Amino acid sequence: MIDVRPRILSVGTANPPTRFLQESLPELFQVDDPRLAGLFHSSHILSRHLYLPEPGPDGVPDETQGELLAKHLRGALEIGPQAVERCLEPLGLTVQDIDYLCVITTTGFMAPGLTAHLMKHMGFREDCSRVDVVGMGCNAALNGLNPLASWSAANPGKNALMVCVEVCSAAYVFDMTFRTAIVNSLFGDGAAAALVRSEASDAPRFAPSILGFNSQIVLPAIGAMRFDWDDSAGKFSFFLDRDIPYVVGQYAERPVDRLLSAHGLRRRHIKHWLVHSGGKKVIDAIQYNVGITEHDVRHTVSVLRDFGNLSSASVLFSYRRLLDEGLVERGDYAVWMTMGPGSTIETCLTRW
Amino acid sequence: MTGTETLTLTQADGIATVTLTRPSINVRQLKELTAVCDELEDNSDARVVVFRGAKGVFSDGIDFGEFHPDQALDIHGFNKWEKLCTRLERLPKATIALVDGPAVGGGLQIALVCDLRLATPASTFQAPEAHLGFLPGMATFRLAKYIGLGHAKRFLLTCEVLGAARAAELGMIDRVVDDLDAGLAQAVASLGPNHSVAVTLTRRLLNESYGNSWENAIGHFLAAQHRAISQDTFLQTLRQHRDDADS
Repeated sequence: MIDVRPRILSVGTANPPTRFLQESLPELFQVDDPRLAGLFHSSHILSRHLYLPEPGPDGVPDETQGELLAKHLRGALEIGPQAVERCLEPLGLTVQDIDYLCVITTTGFMAPGLTAHLMKHMGFREDCSRVDVVGMGCNAALNGLNPLASWSAANPGKNALMVCVEVCSAAYVFDMTFRTAIVNSLFGDGAAAALVRSEASDAPRFAPSILGFNSQIVLPAIGAMRFDWDDSAGKFSFFLDRDIPYVVGQYAERPVDRLLSAHGLRRRHIKHWLVHSGGKKVIDAIQYNVGITEHDVRHTVSVLRDFGNLSSASVLFSYRRLLDEGLVERGDYAVWMTMGPGSTIETCLTRW
Repeated sequence: MTGTETLTLTQADGIATVTLTRPSINVRQLKELTAVCDELEDNSDARVVVFRGAKGVFSDGIDFGEFHPDQALDIHGFNKWEKLCTRLERLPKATIALVDGPAVGGGLQIALVCDLRLATPASTFQAPEAHLGFLPGMATFRLAKYIGLGHAKRFLLTCEVLGAARAAELGMIDRVVDDLDAGLAQAVASLGPNHSVAVTLTRRLLNESYGNSWENAIGHFLAAQHRAISQDTFLQTLRQHRDDADS
């Protein structure tokens, strides 16, 4: 019997053209408070690509919520299409070949959603099905991939495209508090696209099959990561609780063990770990609670270092680097792990 | 008891004992040690794993009888061996090597990856590889941490044979004991209650301490410590402590 499964056939990534060295940012925006400026001097993030505004006279950038939303759409329509083209080009496909489009973002809200804007901008077919995953945060790539894989399994041979587009520089408040400085020192802008199609697993193509997913929500920590309205700033503001690494760490084993036991696997059978680049402490928590090594999270760490936290796009950047490394072999298993608001840990098992 | 061609595995009273019945390491023993790791990781409730030899030999190291000078040697075999050593080093249980007789080359490595090492006065330690023209495995990495760079250089380059007393003096082994079983009982008792998470994470942080910055290490420590204090066994300790204080 030929095993037909959804497979990830290609991935493409893109970032805004301007890259900022992390240590240059406090000076650019005249952040004099050493406690806040110090957040930009850790070695875990060296640079980020951002759509930054011009600093105001006192350093503080002045963008209204309306301007931020417009920037989100503008940025998404620059880096989103680049990621899509880099994903489709190696397969010889164009957007005309896409049958199902899933766009994921948390950094801007609009109706119609980004799917419609991307389809208009890039010229998708009018009968392409679409879904927008909005507001699910850093974990959302796997929340999007799960139904995408199901659609793909139900529609073998059809092309499903997932696009994570995060313009984190359109989702900030700048008020010289520790709360916002943490956020403003962490997130970067980036987009990543992945093409999924169900085809026979014995096809000569070297691409991983999606075998399953497992989720863990930690409802007592529902407020630990949130993007909510800040009345005084007149903007949405992201909040990160300092205990996030420990919440994530404490629950990290559960979905991993459920995912693996459903497939009769142990952690030692997993060759590759694709972990969201949430931040240094979160990566540490995953390492020491799941029992994986510095080597296992090398791409997670290097993506954080070079781009910052790209929210939902991060994990696909790590996947891109894993492929570029050229060490993956047929039969290798990978576990994907993303963490974000809920609080939630999403996992996925793939095999080449 | 599970008996295979090159070793036996017995488990009793929370102690799993791996006896290397074949005195030198061959591909078969490598495979069987890997199977032992699977068993100990997946199915064993032992809290301590003991490695020992048989008939007055802990392990003579690699069996050259399996190498053929007219065939290209396979570097991947060495990689497999080192992966096995790393796996033994990371077993989710405390590990103790009981050495009686020679612990040579790869055999010495098995002792070095254990958490504790006890040896009889009849034991000897040697890494003869450099005199044979190849390298003493990742003993180059581990040994200097136990005995210091100078002693490690002399030991690995001169291929000297160390007696048990001298090995203990240098810190290559922990203790010389006349009776291995009595020594083992004492060592197991000295390991205290069964906090396997505390044991494995303390060991991991120690092993990583040599190649890590303080900034990284403190982050790793906090993540590991949070895991330890979230364990039921630690919470039980706290409850016991409070009950004792109340009574």
